[in-house]
Amino acid sequence: MVKTDALIIESSDQVPRRTLFKRFPIPRNFGVSPGSSVERGRNWPAPANATRIKAFDIYRYDPDQKKNPRLDTFEVDLDDCGPMVLDALIWIKSRVDPTLTFRRSCREGVCGSCAMNIDGGNWLACTRFIEETQTPARIYPLANMRIIKDLVPDLTHVFAQYEMVEPWLQSKTAAPERERLQAPEDRAALDGYYECILCFCCTSGCPSHWWNGDRFLGPAALLQAWRWLTDSRDEAAGDRLDKLEDPFRLYRCHTILNCTRTCPKGLNPGKAIAEIKKLVAKRHG
Amino acid sequence: MDRISSTRPRPLSPNIQIYRPQLTSVLSIANRITGVALSVCAIGLVGWLVAAARGPRAYSWFQGVIGAWPVQILLLIATFAFFLHLCGGIRHLVWDSVRGFELRQIYSSGWAVVAASVLLTLATWFLSLTIGRVV
Repeated sequence: MVKTDALIIESSDQVPRRTLFKRFPIPRNFGVSPGSSVERGRNWPAPANATRIKAFDIYRYDPDQKKNPRLDTFEVDLDDCGPMVLDALIWIKSRVDPTLTFRRSCREGVCGSCAMNIDGGNWLACTRFIEETQTPARIYPLANMRIIKDLVPDLTHVFAQYEMVEPWLQSKTAAPERERLQAPEDRAALDGYYECILCFCCTSGCPSHWWNGDRFLGPAALLQAWRWLTDSRDEAAGDRLDKLEDPFRLYRCHTILNCTRTCPKGLNPGKAIAEIKKLVAKRHG
Repeated sequence: MDRISSTRPRPLSPNIQIYRPQLTSVLSIANRITGVALSVCAIGLVGWLVAAARGPRAYSWFQGVIGAWPVQILLLIATFAFFLHLCGGIRHLVWDSVRGFELRQIYSSGWAVVAASVLLTLATWFLSLTIGRVV
């Protein structure tokens, strides 16, 4: 089940164990504004009766204190805790520090709430086993997001970008009397694109979005754009492409493919964006 | 809401400072860096052509500079950069036709680019050293 140590990554859930660098060889606070630099926080020892202890380094930020974000170390008793990273966070919140703040809902990888950066890669805390993490496990919020508190990012901007691709069916012909039918093969064209849960692991893991996120739509929004472009029932492809064909909105994608590597649902935003680029090229004849 | 944002902007969570380097991002940044480096190297290439055009004295001086071992090491690196950029460019060309996007294909083509660049660099230097000796 847990595939590791592979040179060739075959599915996005594989965890790399051996990499030359755990992070890029740049200064810890490279290009970080003064208010965003992460300081050393405090240690939260495990309860005295703990039997199997694992350390978690967790990013903390409290907007009510006028202080920078910090990295706290929590000791978790694995014998008293469920198997997933989300279980460890809930354990900490209920046993150690009730102020630890994070989003969670379904605890089974369908809601996308608990997306965060675990050991340097974006994933859902509820579908990552604790035993797959390093020691100490490094838990940060989704990369490159404005942080509301602790592991809760402000998703306003990425949802605005999602809204910009108008993710709903648009038709110009008169509304039919009954539901719009689709051939099985037309329906199959949506497979791998409609399953997106909007956790924004991909957009948050995209270096192009880090540097140009104000104008580049990012992989999550563009995957949705393709999901509607390739829908046989949608009749607004021309308008959609008009809006996308822009040096920044679409073409800041440089096919880095961190998105496809990190998608917790195993979808392929990189491929979706390539499909859009191909469609734009085709339109120009 | 306004009270908080006016006193202190929300911090930006770390991106490149914490994100794990992986073949996808490393090859992408390598393609950028080699592209910039090769543009600089093109100036050297122009210098070499100018020297050849100016006559035997300038040319032999330039050859002397190129022959020095630190410059030879730079040239070896430049050769590798050239092939990495070339092979990476071909990989991107294939992607532009919406092929090779399965994760397994992304990783195997990535490692293939690295391996091919090493082999082509070695082959180029082997050929240039052996042929250079014969001529």
